[in-house]
Amino acid sequence: MVQNTMVIDLQKCVGCGACAIACKTENNTPNRKNGQTHNWADYIHETTGSFPDVGYRTLPVLCNHCTDAACINECPTEPTSVFKTPEGVTMLNEERCIGCRSCQEACPYSMDDVLKDGQYSVISYAEEDQPYDAFFADKKELIPGCTSSGQDMVKTVGANPPHQTKFGHNEYSDSHRPGIVGKCIFCEHRTKVGEMPYCVDACPANARIFGDSNDPSSKVSKLLKAQPSFVLLPEKGTKPNVHYIRNYKKA
Amino acid sequence: MKIKRRDFLKVSSAAGLMTTVGCVQKSPNALSQDSSQKMIGPKPGEWKPTTCQGCTTWCPAEVFVQDGRAVKARGNQHSKQNDGKLCPRGNLSIQQVYDPDRIKVPMKRTNSSKGRGINPRFVPISWDEALNTIADKMMELRRDNESEKFCVLRGRYTYMRDTIYSHLPKIFGSPNGISHSAICAEAEKFGSYYTEGKWAYRDYDLDNSKYVLIWGCDPVSSNRMVPSAIKRLGDVLDKATVAVVDPKLNNSAAKAQEWMPVKPGTDGALAGAIAHELLVNGLWHKKFVGDFNDGMNRFKSGQTVDESSFSEKETHGVVKWWNLELKDRTPEWAAGITDVSAAQIRRVAHGLGKAAPNVAVWLGPGAAMHVRGAYSAMAVHALTGLLGAADSPGGVLQTAKIPMNKPPKYKKYQDATAKKHSKFKKIDRRGTKAYPAIAKGKSGGGVVTNNVADSILNNDPYDLKVVIGYMNNFVFSCTGAERWEKALAKIPFLVHLSTHASEFSQFADIVLPSTTNKYEKWGYVKTKANRYATCTLLQPVIEPLWDVVMDETEVPWLIAEKLKERGFSKLYDYFYNEYPDPETGAKPKNGLEFTINNLKIQTSQMWDGKKDVGGDKINGWNEFLKRGMWNSSAYKYHKRWGGKFKTKSKRFEFYSETLKAALGKHAKKHHAGIDEILEECNYTASGELAFVPHYEPPYRFGDVDEYPFDFIDYKSRLNAEGRSANCTWYHEFKHVDPGDVAGEDVIKINPVDASKFGLRTGDKVKVTSVVGSITCTVKAWDGIQPGTAAKAYGQGHWAYGNTAAADYNSAEARGGNNNTIMPAEVERLSGSTVRNGGFTGVKIEKIS
Repeated sequence: MVQNTMVIDLQKCVGCGACAIACKTENNTPNRKNGQTHNWADYIHETTGSFPDVGYRTLPVLCNHCTDAACINECPTEPTSVFKTPEGVTMLNEERCIGCRSCQEACPYSMDDVLKDGQYSVISYAEEDQPYDAFFADKKELIPGCTSSGQDMVKTVGANPPHQTKFGHNEYSDSHRPGIVGKCIFCEHRTKVGEMPYCVDACPANARIFGDSNDPSSKVSKLLKAQPSFVLLPEKGTKPNVHYIRNYKKA
Repeated sequence: MKIKRRDFLKVSSAAGLMTTVGCVQKSPNALSQDSSQKMIGPKPGEWKPTTCQGCTTWCPAEVFVQDGRAVKARGNQHSKQNDGKLCPRGNLSIQQVYDPDRIKVPMKRTNSSKGRGINPRFVPISWDEALNTIADKMMELRRDNESEKFCVLRGRYTYMRDTIYSHLPKIFGSPNGISHSAICAEAEKFGSYYTEGKWAYRDYDLDNSKYVLIWGCDPVSSNRMVPSAIKRLGDVLDKATVAVVDPKLNNSAAKAQEWMPVKPGTDGALAGAIAHELLVNGLWHKKFVGDFNDGMNRFKSGQTVDESSFSEKETHGVVKWWNLELKDRTPEWAAGITDVSAAQIRRVAHGLGKAAPNVAVWLGPGAAMHVRGAYSAMAVHALTGLLGAADSPGGVLQTAKIPMNKPPKYKKYQDATAKKHSKFKKIDRRGTKAYPAIAKGKSGGGVVTNNVADSILNNDPYDLKVVIGYMNNFVFSCTGAERWEKALAKIPFLVHLSTHASEFSQFADIVLPSTTNKYEKWGYVKTKANRYATCTLLQPVIEPLWDVVMDETEVPWLIAEKLKERGFSKLYDYFYNEYPDPETGAKPKNGLEFTINNLKIQTSQMWDGKKDVGGDKINGWNEFLKRGMWNSSAYKYHKRWGGKFKTKSKRFEFYSETLKAALGKHAKKHHAGIDEILEECNYTASGELAFVPHYEPPYRFGDVDEYPFDFIDYKSRLNAEGRSANCTWYHEFKHVDPGDVAGEDVIKINPVDASKFGLRTGDKVKVTSVVGSITCTVKAWDGIQPGTAAKAYGQGHWAYGNTAAADYNSAEARGGNNNTIMPAEVERLSGSTVRNGGFTGVKIEKIS
């Protein structure tokens, strides 16, 4: 059995932000609203110590695609809307999802309302009966007759968002609907056709490595075997499949 | 708290949740019905090459285009610099092209009153009306015999720039093509020019470095080779020591083995102490610098050395430098000035010495853009010489040649008026006694961009009447920003070429909507990194949105047509006659054809196959368009060793004969002594000290008692210069700048200072200097030196768009613009705007 896994090499990562922004361009996620970040890739930043002996690191975060995923256990639909694929991806079927947010509540890496900087949530919820992205529903022109508006831009360009990346997948769409949750699906629309998840491709530091951790010859297996690694909140017992290796700072 | 659907479902579960869910599951929908047949994978699209100009790296890039829409970006797969990857700016740029606040049509102001907060009451007009008005205003100047009062202000450019900012004014009859260059780091170039004879940014051979000393910059965030540095830093840390000099913990410092939090403005002292330590311990690179004749080291603290006892190889004046400056610059002396410990200075110096010559001393603006920064730039760059790192593997390199053709000659299209008036003094007062701007050794050889506001306000040397600015926003991006508000309001007729209604546009009489460089424009730029020089094309990867034009070439063509209609055809004749298609000989019939021909003429050596120019072999124009770029061969190590440095002495100069000559010429021009010139330029040195890298005490505006913090200005890694703050993702991910907070504009101070001044993280504060105040949010953060306050440049827009400004209509800023509080001083010798070196004292007060 395959277990798709991501390894993040913290020595290579420079915390630049390219992966999270690239994810938004690939997965057409909306702007933050109502305490929902809609950032399927995001960051934890940690400052430790005091001047001049200060440590600082960035931890890129995303859905951990846990082997024992709490989100799946709590999903009330039948069959569940969040489920494990044969490749070990924690998948979301957008049609079955009823937007109850039980998964968000169950997930140790998610929260109902992200209100403060430094908090994150790998599962976000798009409010029912509201435009998926209010930014592109706005009709206001900055300078009437001279500039566009969000809605006008969408109409002119013919896509929402205007930069929408179009792809096909049988569980989710390239045009999300309101009233359901959203999360990282390891870009399965890419991996199924031999591409890497987009954050892996977009990382200018080559800090993200993706592959099958059940295949001993894969790069992720070799990296995890060769050196210590850690996962986020191991005490929650969810067995994450996103692993971190090496240190952000060189000792 | 919102009522969540979950709560509703929990309530309704007593009534039978499974039934409810069952209904949902069974409800027919397009997606689930034929899910098994659905095609998995990306829909068709094409990666099209162009260039990212989000920062000054100028990355060869590609944009994925689906159904004519730009959807995402990456690096050009042929690039030997970025290896097909972009930094966050490259991804962010997709929000710039599809920004709803972009200007769609030409507009004119209907409110003749001008000023910040005064609504220009812009209304849409036709291109014809806009161009007719501009041409009429220009013709008035010719008629009144004052064509010098026409001026083009350049901002972000490509190498198509000559058309608009050189040929247009010079054929029209004005000397005033004024670039933005000196609001950037000209003082850095001063450091390399007056030591190794190169007025340019440098390249760094990170793959082969054994020690990397990053000084006053954060290469993984900004400073001209960002993706290349991001890709390499992690590996460099495995095989080299990385040390970072910066008063705040930047991204590179957070990863490095050594962080040297230097007191702002004291870089020259730190560099001097490292040089001192290298010399007293015999750690200079002898193959480059040479040695004592008998091999015995006579560099001893406090003692002068006989020049004749030392024989230099590739360098000039090491003993003079020692005797004039270095002999007393002990690590202990420097520790007292810089707040960097003597032990750390020694450790770093010894590490550098051991790794020499495979050492990259990365000189950034933080070490150079001081009031007295010319000499600290030299001092830091002189370490490259002492360590033999100039042109060495793993060291500091120059650029391989890019085979370009100059644009066709224009002089025969200048009539008598043009010839006379284009020789008038330039508006920026370059080369005057107090503003030597001795770029490339020539008095007035460089631009003093930030002087223009004062020149306009004081009619010195004369007033400007018709000004065209393109892709610039000097009223936001120049220090002493308020002066620009007054200056721009004073210009009788101002035209702005811009993608957005920026702060500069608010003062314009006519605003012309421009293409975005990365997505909609033709042009080319030259860039370098990782030993390769590159020419990369900007190409319209999508049909331009709205009724926009290319600023650098199409607008001059359109103006030329209108001037011809009014009896002045010289500009049109030049464009029409001198820019035939180099392949077919066909003359241009419109602005687009003129643009393409212009581009083909300038780049032809790289694709026409007539001559072997090295680097990538490209077979014809169409292949060049398809690849989008050309890579040079790798820069040759030791290229300038053997007496080939372009200095007076042909060697790497520690005693700068080149600077001595340049200062001498400038002083002579003004019938003054060099000491007098230096004093006028805010320097303390006199005599021979003026010709060696040395420490100058920091110059500061604001008394420490009243303004206790040294203000530190730096660049956000999400800044597309000043142009990305209208992107929502900029604010969403602002916390990728260490210590910053998403959605906020924070000024960071040490927690010790926070408690001293009764400030807490999250407090709204007013930050005040001797020239102005801004409001923002305070953050207590340990990554910053006590006594300093750091804030990233980029926010504080009071125009530009709905996202960038708090309220566009009432000109209310979102956050604070650092340029409001930094005084408008320039480093006089280079013309560089001053931004660093702790020159701005500020106080921070809680807003109750």
